[in-house]
Amino acid sequence: MTIQLNIYRFNPENDSKPYMQYYEVAISKKGMKLLDALNDIKWNMDGTLTFRRSCGEGVCGSDGMNINGVNGLACITPVEGLKQPIQLRPLPSMNVIRDLVVDTTHFFDQYRQIKPWLQAYTPTPEHERLQSPEERVELDGAYECIMCGCCTTSCPSWWWNGDRFMGPAVLLQADRWLKDSRDEAAGERLDQLEDAFKLYRCHQIMNCMEACPKELNPTQAINHIKRMLLNRQS
Amino acid sequence: MVKYGKDLGAAHSGLSDWYLQRVSAVILALLLPWVFVLLWVLALDGLSQQALFALLDSLAVRIAHTLLILALTIHAYIGLKVMIEDYVHTGMRVLLMGMVMVGMGLFAIWWLSLIWAWGG
Ligand code: SF4
Ligand code: SF4
Ligand code: FES
Repeated sequence: MTIQLNIYRFNPENDSKPYMQYYEVAISKKGMKLLDALNDIKWNMDGTLTFRRSCGEGVCGSDGMNINGVNGLACITPVEGLKQPIQLRPLPSMNVIRDLVVDTTHFFDQYRQIKPWLQAYTPTPEHERLQSPEERVELDGAYECIMCGCCTTSCPSWWWNGDRFMGPAVLLQADRWLKDSRDEAAGERLDQLEDAFKLYRCHQIMNCMEACPKELNPTQAINHIKRMLLNRQS
Repeated sequence: MVKYGKDLGAAHSGLSDWYLQRVSAVILALLLPWVFVLLWVLALDGLSQQALFALLDSLAVRIAHTLLILALTIHAYIGLKVMIEDYVHTGMRVLLMGMVMVGMGLFAIWWLSLIWAWGG
């Protein structure tokens, strides 16, 4: 049993334009994941194939790619059930560095803009800033995000206005800090987000939610930020 | 390389657009069906011209009519503005938005003057 793949190839040093390359890989085990197939190609057939990966279990967020037209993580996507030949492309709308590796500089710059760390001004308690179990539950659905970028690169609003629109991943994280009971900078955070481009470019197209391999719901988080802004105003 | 601008902070502009868009949508949802009801009745010959004018002349209907036109123009203006913001990326953006604003404003003034000049 083999699986067939068509993989996007582009090496800016040699290629004038990208092309799709065909590979066939043996199914090595039950429950084989797409990353296993990519590793097999890289290790045993064609060492020039370039892609990012690290954890191999959906935790690091480095192997986001476009799989048969849908963004996802290669390491947790079973090859079984995928239409063949499997079409593998880099995440849409990001600049390709080589093959499946994209330039995430701007994506993480936007992440930095929301200051994704705890900001507290009250004196530091002797041991730690405590959080009750109920307050901790508030972060469910946000802390699981691994910043793989699958959602943001599937968002049409980010395609058209990604220079200014923060995109679903970053806004989900912004909401995560707004919801954190220990964070004391909600006001400044909201100030930084109240902008027709940064936040309100989201038109609830919901591509982000469908793309998220961790089954999170950035749309809901974005709506929560909008509601917080409304409540602050009224 | 795509060059991205610096982070210039927030313009504090999105919330009012978003809010007005929703409020005007509610008003439209409440009032617009009555226009179609009225057209339907007229099509069935259920109302004489005299009765129609009397109806449009009444204060309550004038106020509702005014609300409807305001909601309609605001809703249409913001809708077009959002589309321009989405898809137009050059200096044309500001020019186009200005043209839409002037167009919508003139339409509203013209229609409102019809409502309130009526009958007298
Ligand atoms: S819901 Fe918003 S953030 Fe998500 S894909 Fe649609 S426009 Fe983008
Ligand atoms: S919300 Fe989901 S798709 Fe988006 S970056 Fe986080 S884990 Fe990835
Ligand atoms: S390799 Fe870490 S998420 Fe896939």
